[in-house]
Amino acid sequence: MQLLKKALWMIVPVMLVASSCKKDEQNVDPTDDNEAITTATLTLTNKAVPTDIVTATIENLNTNANFTNATLNLKANTTYSGVVTLLDKTKTPALDATEEIKEKANEHLFVYTYTAATSDPSSLTVTITDKDSNPAPGPYPIGLTTEMKTGAAGSGKLKVVLRHQPNSKNGTATPGSSDLDTDFPVVIK
Amino acid sequence: MRGYLTIWFVMNILAGVVQVGYGQSRSCRAILTGRILGADNHEPLTGATVYIRELATGAVADSAGNFQVLSVCPGRYTIDFQFVGYKTIDQTIIVRNDSTLSLAPIALLPDSETLREVVVTEHRSEAQQLLQNQAALSGNALEATRGQSLGESLKALPGLYSIQTGPSISKPVIHGLYSNRILTLNNGVRQEDQQWGSEHAPQIDQFLAAQLTVIKGAASIKYGSDAIGGVILVEPKAMPTVPGLRSEVNLVGGTNGRQGTVSGLMEQAFTNKLAGLSWRLQGTLKRVGYAKTPNYYLENSSYLENSFAGTVKYTKQRIGAELFYSQFYTKVGLFRGAQVGSLADFYAAIARPEPLSQPGFSYDLGRPYQQVQHDLLKAKAFIRSERLGMLTLTVAHQQNVRREYDIQSFSRVTDPELYLKLVTQTADLIWEHQPIKTANGGQLSGSVGFNGITQGNVRRFLFLIPNYRNYGGGVYALERYAHDRWTLEGGIRYDYRWLRAYFLDETTKLTTEKTRDWSNVTGSLGTTYQLTSKLMLSGNVSTAWRAPTVSDLYSNGLHQSAVAYEQGNPDLNPEQAYNLNVSVEYSSDRLYVDMGIYNNWINNYIYLKPDSVPIIRQRGAFPAYTYNQVRATFRGLDATVRYKLTSQLTLTSKTSLLFAYDHTNRDYLVYIPANHTENGLRYDFEKPASRQGRITDVYLSVNHQYVARQNRVPMVTQREENGQIIFTGDFAPPPPAYSLIGAEVGFSCKVGSNPMNVILMGTNLLNQSYRDYLDRFRYFADEPGRNIMLKVKLPLVFARG
Repeated sequence: MQLLKKALWMIVPVMLVASSCKKDEQNVDPTDDNEAITTATLTLTNKAVPTDIVTATIENLNTNANFTNATLNLKANTTYSGVVTLLDKTKTPALDATEEIKEKANEHLFVYTYTAATSDPSSLTVTITDKDSNPAPGPYPIGLTTEMKTGAAGSGKLKVVLRHQPNSKNGTATPGSSDLDTDFPVVIK
Repeated sequence: MRGYLTIWFVMNILAGVVQVGYGQSRSCRAILTGRILGADNHEPLTGATVYIRELATGAVADSAGNFQVLSVCPGRYTIDFQFVGYKTIDQTIIVRNDSTLSLAPIALLPDSETLREVVVTEHRSEAQQLLQNQAALSGNALEATRGQSLGESLKALPGLYSIQTGPSISKPVIHGLYSNRILTLNNGVRQEDQQWGSEHAPQIDQFLAAQLTVIKGAASIKYGSDAIGGVILVEPKAMPTVPGLRSEVNLVGGTNGRQGTVSGLMEQAFTNKLAGLSWRLQGTLKRVGYAKTPNYYLENSSYLENSFAGTVKYTKQRIGAELFYSQFYTKVGLFRGAQVGSLADFYAAIARPEPLSQPGFSYDLGRPYQQVQHDLLKAKAFIRSERLGMLTLTVAHQQNVRREYDIQSFSRVTDPELYLKLVTQTADLIWEHQPIKTANGGQLSGSVGFNGITQGNVRRFLFLIPNYRNYGGGVYALERYAHDRWTLEGGIRYDYRWLRAYFLDETTKLTTEKTRDWSNVTGSLGTTYQLTSKLMLSGNVSTAWRAPTVSDLYSNGLHQSAVAYEQGNPDLNPEQAYNLNVSVEYSSDRLYVDMGIYNNWINNYIYLKPDSVPIIRQRGAFPAYTYNQVRATFRGLDATVRYKLTSQLTLTSKTSLLFAYDHTNRDYLVYIPANHTENGLRYDFEKPASRQGRITDVYLSVNHQYVARQNRVPMVTQREENGQIIFTGDFAPPPPAYSLIGAEVGFSCKVGSNPMNVILMGTNLLNQSYRDYLDRFRYFADEPGRNIMLKVKLPLVFARG
């Protein structure tokens, strides 16, 4: 036991040398997502009345999404031209992801799906108005700009999905994976 | 090279020596005896050494020139007989199941050129000192696994399996337990490479190992807490003692993935004034392209490995020191078809019978991939005395830098998504006392030891686990008493663990910390009884505990590759395991049976419990999991049967059964290996009767592997919530059972004066489409199809003596 004690004491300097190293772990780096999308905004302009602009924004998408200003209040039987904007506000200055997507339009596709509330007559038809530069059988739609036509009044939700389809874009939603998948509440009056 | 690696090698040496004691390995009990004489005067050569190359073990001749090597497994061996001032003789022997094999007296010729000092060799497998359920892979069985990863090659042992992430990442599973419940000792140093992650494979070059030993069941006493499931010992070849410069080249080529591996080794032992000094350099390069399933290639499943290692060792009579440095670098592509942005994508991918994107073959390696570099520096010193025994000090410094790159959609950032740097220092001091003979003819042998560890972890980019500092220390005593037909072994250990995690408050920018500590005592008791010369019974009871890891406690983030949001639980208690092993071993001339049953009770078993409410993030909904604790049992049976149908034809059967159960939730556990059995026939061709036969050791074997469907899985249920289907238990039912056929041909031939070993083998010869329950990519794609591999090993001797 005497020997063991001796032996243990000899380890002490070793451990001291080991533990006296600089403690890198005490400087904690902030969390940093290369591809965070914090903010999604839909801006709809009434085609008949260009001053009638409706915007809806979802904030903090990458954490606990905030839907306070997310509702799209639209008029029935009206045609709007729509623009989607995605921002990463975790970066300074905030990064405009829509710009980056525009540059890589050949591998991105926005998919808009309107679902009316249960037994609700409302409708919203979304038509994508922009096209990428994929070779034949392309070009395919992108979805950064749209035309949205409302029908009867009511309520529902508009699902916006951004599909990332590297080397596989074919105009459908199937290939690739989702970079964004969120719902905007819609009220049509 | 890595400038930040600092050598902090402190040598504290007490007096002490041990004569090398050869413990009993469970499955091997042949005794090799003989006598070494000088050819000049026929006098016994006291102190001449006998060294079995393949086993890296040996003995020293006594004053009458007699020697005895205990616990030799059946097999074919090359033995070196050497003595100062005499020429070394090597001799090939075949050990059968005979209990004692007496060799004809060996006469060594005097060597006038050399008159060297006595070089005390220290060769032995670490695990031989433990009386526990173990299995080892060495010799030809290990050669046959060259080119495979560590995790993959261990699957050749009963009771072992591997948890995979596609064809490129494979982690060993012992009796159903893996990750932090297994300790891996790389050349005697506890490997610390973020092993908590089920897609983090051990960062060890398989070619470093001359023997892979697995201790199955709780084996904490000697190796430290955490080893609830078992210990894997990666043991390199013993350093050369015969003077001369040698090298060895290994080449492996495979058709699937068009893989190529080159591994080289060069080593030298010196003579004259430098006697006792030896060095070795070893390096491996591996390139693998897209794996091919029977019907398509797995996009981006390519990977590469570059590794090298160097050792310098000096021994002189009673003291010795060794310095070892190794670097392992790997870049592992992850199958792109398994990359999903959200739960919705995941379900779509599961529903597809085949991946959407099926490109042709390529070696390209893009995002998503992992890039890991592991550096290890180890210094070891020992001193022995005939009175006090042997004292060994090992200190090691390891650095593991892991970068994980996800697929990027729109950003042009070149940074990884995950960066983790883990720096670990370990120190081990072991004193083995000189064996004590008791009055009644028994023998007491044993050791006491100390293990210390400190770790610092730094993360960047996405949060998965926090920065932390960890200290651990343990002391143990292990004693064995052997008398007549009985061997008893008992051990006790005390451990202390301290863990402090650092967090950043993103709004206040202040660092906060959480500290926890744990301590515990574990013990083990084992016995073997030699009932007859052919039959041996053994039993072992042991306890082990594992403090929760930082990932169990504090992980908080989206595990993109697992499509899961994992939440740690800071209130977890340590896991406590109670392990029971009983085994029977029978070996006669024709029949060998080794059958063992085990039962591992684990209290506070930590697992990921699915939460009912999915987490919604920008990419959509993800299933959420929280770490939770249950009482679990892992019980099963491992059996190996070998039967010699004729002197040349052998039937081998290996079966592993495992039943795991969660008693708290009265349900099965997820990711438990299915029952499996492997049966093979091997034909060894007759040695060509001195017909100038340059081709020797020819064998042919075929084997059939059957993996049952895992029917004991948690209930897979699905329900609808907010218009989304939510699965619990698992995302898809386990895949069906499968059968694979493999074959192997091997031989040795002389190239010049050097023996070359060649193995040609084929796996999945019928090119079956199948999926394995323990592959985390089983939801997306099939396992690889047929693969034909050619393995060549060529030792070269440049200069003798």
